[in-house]
Amino acid sequence: MSEPSRERARQELGRAQAELVAALVAGGEVPEGFDAARLRVQEGALISKRRGTVARVRPDLVVLLGDGFAAHFDGYARGRPKPEGGSRADARDFAAWLGERGLLPEPPGAAAPVGRSGGLGRLLGRVLGRGSG
Amino acid sequence: MAEHGAAGRLGVGLGWRPEIDLTVERMPGVDFVEVIAENIRPGALPESLRVLLARGVPVIPHGVGLGIGGAEPPDPDRLAHLDACARALGSPLVSEHLAFVRAGGMEAGHLLPVPRTRAALSVVVENVRRAQDALAVPLALENVAALFGWPEDEMTEAQFLGELVEATGVGLLVDVANLYTNQVNLGLGAVSALDGLPLSALAYVHVAGGHSHHGLWHDTHTSRVPQEVLEILTELCARTEPPGVLLEWDGDYPSDAVFEEELGRIRGAMARV
Repeated sequence: MSEPSRERARQELGRAQAELVAALVAGGEVPEGFDAARLRVQEGALISKRRGTVARVRPDLVVLLGDGFAAHFDGYARGRPKPEGGSRADARDFAAWLGERGLLPEPPGAAAPVGRSGGLGRLLGRVLGRGSG
Repeated sequence: MAEHGAAGRLGVGLGWRPEIDLTVERMPGVDFVEVIAENIRPGALPESLRVLLARGVPVIPHGVGLGIGGAEPPDPDRLAHLDACARALGSPLVSEHLAFVRAGGMEAGHLLPVPRTRAALSVVVENVRRAQDALAVPLALENVAALFGWPEDEMTEAQFLGELVEATGVGLLVDVANLYTNQVNLGLGAVSALDGLPLSALAYVHVAGGHSHHGLWHDTHTSRVPQEVLEILTELCARTEPPGVLLEWDGDYPSDAVFEEELGRIRGAMARV
């Protein structure tokens, strides 16, 4: 393939992938031809993956929210792309989102280290156990 | 092009994760391990990996964030990191995924399938060549698990990977759990995929468990390997002798006894040929 036609292929691929990612993580419209129901499942799986990583970064939030962690995280993450800065930034923004809703007892502190003790491990297991795609 | 076989004999392995570092270290019969490349710093390797290396256990950096199937050429910094990981670990190869992970300035957060078109293939071929140029060791690419297909798909995954291997000499990391996932979710036959894949380029194999939810298979790496996945592994071993087979587990970690049982089931499936 010639250089100009590969450049065109890159541009076209970039446009198609950007539309799809917008539909999956930013509440964008489903691009033409895709199975909308499957994209909803994929959207949920991506949120689930993010939730698992945030739970590892901030196990204190898992302890604090208990079984409400998943629902709160989904409320925060749906339609909101993962911020620059990776999972730590995602965890920071989630904590801020909780704070704005009065769901944190105090302003979010620094990330706590991940423990390996039994109770927390079981709780993390429940949060991380399913649908992390 | 023929650099893909460079892994040599790896054996049966287990994905090293910080949460199960001692488990992996102490587990009998772990011939090689994989580490998520984005989670380590080459200049400050976790002690557990250094223990394994001192014992002569091969450690393969497995990237999840390169997005070699993206429209942009692969990021030189990410490639330099993969290369530095391979050098620090003395790895025989580096592995990544045939997937894209970001587009339009947004991170998807996980691996997404590439449209299997001629045009996309031409982009991925060039991306793979750039990656190979930046790496001192061979690169192997993994087939991914999908929950959806692209409307413009015009090739099977096996055809797409076959052409990619032919054009670039890239190695194959065949994930049999992902073949199973795509069979359940997209109706793509796993065994016919095996028949179509260029298994002469096989670097190693992934095996993992997942969960069924509303009739779809979610490749979560958080449960025992289903029998159906082991049967695909047996089918693969009937076609070629894989240089290595590695179990991935990424959360909801079980007891050491379960890991041992699962490695035993994998060996059993490999021997059933």
